[in-house]
Amino acid sequence: MSKITTGKFSLEDLENVQITINNIVGAIETKAEEEGVEMGPTPKPGISSLRNWDYKLLSRYQPVYTPVCDQCCYCTFGKCDLGGNKEGACGINMEAHQAREFLLRVITGAAAHAGHGRHILHHLIEKHGGDHPINVGPSNLLAPNTQMVTGIMPKTLGDLEKVMDYVEEQLTQLLATIHVGQEGSSLDFESKAMHGGMLDHVGMEVSDLAQISCMGMPKSDPEAPLAEIGMGCIDSTKPVLLVIGHNVAGVTYIMDYMREHDLDDKMELAGLCCTAIDMTRYQTDKGGQPRAKIIGALAKELKMIRSAAPDVIIVDEQCVRADVLDEAKRLFIPVITTNEKIMYGLPDRSKDSADKIIEDLSSGKEAGALILDFDLLGEVAPRLAMKMAPIREAKGIKSLPSDEELKTLTASCVQCGACELVCPNNLPIMNAMTAAVAGDITKFEKLHDHCIACGRCDPVCPKGIPILNVIEKAAQRAIREEKGKMRAGRGQISDPEIREEGVNLVMGTTPGILAMVGCSNYPEGTKDLYTVANEMLQRNYIVVMSGCSAMDLGMYKDEEGKTLYEKYPAKFLAGNLINVGSCVSNAHITGTAIKVAAIFAQRNITGNYEEIADYIMNRIGAVGVAWGAYSQKASSIATGCNRLGIPVIVGPHGSKYRRALIGKPYNEEDWKVYDARNGEEMPIPSSPEFLLTTAETIEELMPMIAKNCIRPSDNNMGRMIKLTHYIELSQKYLGHLPEDWYKFVRVETDLPITRREELLKILEKEHGWEIDWKRKKIISGPTMKLDVSAQPTNVKRLCKESVC
Amino acid sequence: MLMVDTTKNTMIYTTWGSRNAKPVQPLVAAKLISKAKRPLLVIGADALDSDVINKAIAIGKKGLQIAATGHSMQGFKDQDVNAKYVNIHFLAHYLGDKNWKGLDGQGSYDLVIFLGHKKYYVNQVLSGLKNFTDIKTLAIDRHYLQNADMSFGNLKPEDHLEALDELISNL
Repeated sequence: MSKITTGKFSLEDLENVQITINNIVGAIETKAEEEGVEMGPTPKPGISSLRNWDYKLLSRYQPVYTPVCDQCCYCTFGKCDLGGNKEGACGINMEAHQAREFLLRVITGAAAHAGHGRHILHHLIEKHGGDHPINVGPSNLLAPNTQMVTGIMPKTLGDLEKVMDYVEEQLTQLLATIHVGQEGSSLDFESKAMHGGMLDHVGMEVSDLAQISCMGMPKSDPEAPLAEIGMGCIDSTKPVLLVIGHNVAGVTYIMDYMREHDLDDKMELAGLCCTAIDMTRYQTDKGGQPRAKIIGALAKELKMIRSAAPDVIIVDEQCVRADVLDEAKRLFIPVITTNEKIMYGLPDRSKDSADKIIEDLSSGKEAGALILDFDLLGEVAPRLAMKMAPIREAKGIKSLPSDEELKTLTASCVQCGACELVCPNNLPIMNAMTAAVAGDITKFEKLHDHCIACGRCDPVCPKGIPILNVIEKAAQRAIREEKGKMRAGRGQISDPEIREEGVNLVMGTTPGILAMVGCSNYPEGTKDLYTVANEMLQRNYIVVMSGCSAMDLGMYKDEEGKTLYEKYPAKFLAGNLINVGSCVSNAHITGTAIKVAAIFAQRNITGNYEEIADYIMNRIGAVGVAWGAYSQKASSIATGCNRLGIPVIVGPHGSKYRRALIGKPYNEEDWKVYDARNGEEMPIPSSPEFLLTTAETIEELMPMIAKNCIRPSDNNMGRMIKLTHYIELSQKYLGHLPEDWYKFVRVETDLPITRREELLKILEKEHGWEIDWKRKKIISGPTMKLDVSAQPTNVKRLCKESVC
Repeated sequence: MLMVDTTKNTMIYTTWGSRNAKPVQPLVAAKLISKAKRPLLVIGADALDSDVINKAIAIGKKGLQIAATGHSMQGFKDQDVNAKYVNIHFLAHYLGDKNWKGLDGQGSYDLVIFLGHKKYYVNQVLSGLKNFTDIKTLAIDRHYLQNADMSFGNLKPEDHLEALDELISNL
């Protein structure tokens, strides 16, 4: 009997009959076998397939729940007060409900990325065909997350559709578990959340692989060009077209139209959030320069609209304020929605003529339009901006108060504190008002940087002061100076780069990878990102940026007027600064760790999640930081990292995700693994000490990063380097020698070289270690041995069979 | 006679649940601390922005163990107080573990007092303690922290310092 393959078949003698075979049972395994690739144990894992691995993680890193609400209001049994870990009417207790809440955040975030991925993939297949090859740079391992999770090794856009089918099916299964009743175990909800996080990285990977392959984006390019960023870089004497969102598909048509009609220099194309990042990547892979400017992250949305500079606003999906249309209406700025996720109640004009739409919007007959046809969008948006600019100028539209009005408004503040009570950051607005009355606006300038422009203060002021507008008016000087540079997203780390740097990461001689990801809900302003990245770059960490963090980092300059992107090279080497790209490019960060396992350690990654996660956890010193994390997507990205054993630190607002995963260093039993050479247990350092936690300030954050890059596989040079940074950063920012530093010492050569004698004395005096002072060697004391040949693993089946 | 009424303003922006902190006066707070067998004073990094750090030192000098969170350790250098750094999220986790030996190896705590933190952050930490532990919590910050068992109300910065002085003088 001949083998059935996928494809379309017509049956002889039967007219109008065509059979399409999409999926064949065992097809992934068969294809892998044909290509000579060994299939791991868990291709396309279901919800329970990796449960044992999750339980291993959760036994060391226990969930810490901090409810945002003590009640559950999921069904009509309730509301139920679960306070004190009581059970609700359906039988769920507070612990399990919090785990369910966290799961819901994770799958919401994963669905946002996967929905984006499906949309852009569908669009690009329609445009380029399913056979269009995936081309992301000089790599053989094209889709590390996809290959590790699903076992599929995609080569074309069409192959990615099968991957999305799997992600969507699993997300549906996970969403079903949220329903009332059913699961009662918090740990099983946690395992499901891990599953959702893993799926998120696959969905993100599909999105970025597709757009890199088809949109001329940089392909693992360390020389990706620099783009302009900041509110101050916008020339508002030209018509300004502002785009907001995360899905660049429609915007590329606008850019094409502008180029074809010679409009690039005649108008400003500016973006907010990840669409902005992806606009600056568009068609730059062959030496092209970015043709759009970046305003910044979500925190700049209301500020930019209230500046009245945009003449037209285009929105697509995800991190877009729900009140864009209302805000824009007040300033006679037409809004065009371009994606089914945001339609704002606007009429669908997708089948109307460009002339008619432009006429209706520019005359004010309609406040906006839904346009789902990208060819039409490409023409309407720039033409409308060109038409609106003189109309709006003639109307003298402005939003911010005049200098005189500013004085009156600040003087009318009665210091009641209502604005500070509702401010998410409790910003000292009353103080700034008082200072402004006395002629000092510097406090408002500081507020501008710290304010996330949520607008909650405006409606609560009993005197009707438009507080955000007051802040923005008072900070005009600072805003004009907001001009920076961001390196356009380069996409993946290539296979050759991994070959060069992998050994340094595993041995620890490159002290670690710091991935600064996520959004802009910073506790103390955007400059904190710069401070952290600058410190860690000077210490030779590889700093990887993505999404809103990548943008905000480019806003600040050193004394010589250079941003960090201009100051540091962008290769995957110690002391380099990399921007992988937009939100969906986060998959390249986990992809890098997977590639180290595949390329440096020659591990089989195909359908082999547990082994690869185990490898990464024990060997790769990487820490994620989402300092301004606010979105559900940030929680799913972090959870995807966590399942791979990569720890993530979020800022203090991250405590509102409701749960952390934190270990107990004082429980020695928790910090043991097997040595795969013989199956014997071996003690390991308590690092990473957590999988997800918060830090209070950046001063606390920096030593936490250094400490949690320590791994069992560090050689003595690597451990010495990592310990040096941990001790130095603790002393610099916390003012003390950390209490647990000695626990990471295995031999004297692990000690910082310049302080060896001093630290040996402390070990002898305070910890009772025996020291041979003639040879300056440790005789006894350490709980761990240095053995670079050891093979640390959490998975017993990976030990040599004879022993285990 | 009351110097500062720390119970007057308990206005909140959002609520966590049906149980809110009982507002307390400085004198009552001082008595609670004095009566506790194993009190722990948790000081956040916001204390460094004002004279609050000196009030924390003054309380610490009365013999309380200090858990210095964030980078508040900077403020306790050479101050002759018993302060140890700990991440506040970690601390919340350890406090829920009956086997934890405390920062000094002598066992866990029966009253945890919070000062110098971001309101939204410490309220989350307190939410965890409220729902999953039996530990009593007291907030003496300048914001009403509804997830504590007892808390000062919302205070102006100068009134807050005065209230802390009153508390210290009654320890």
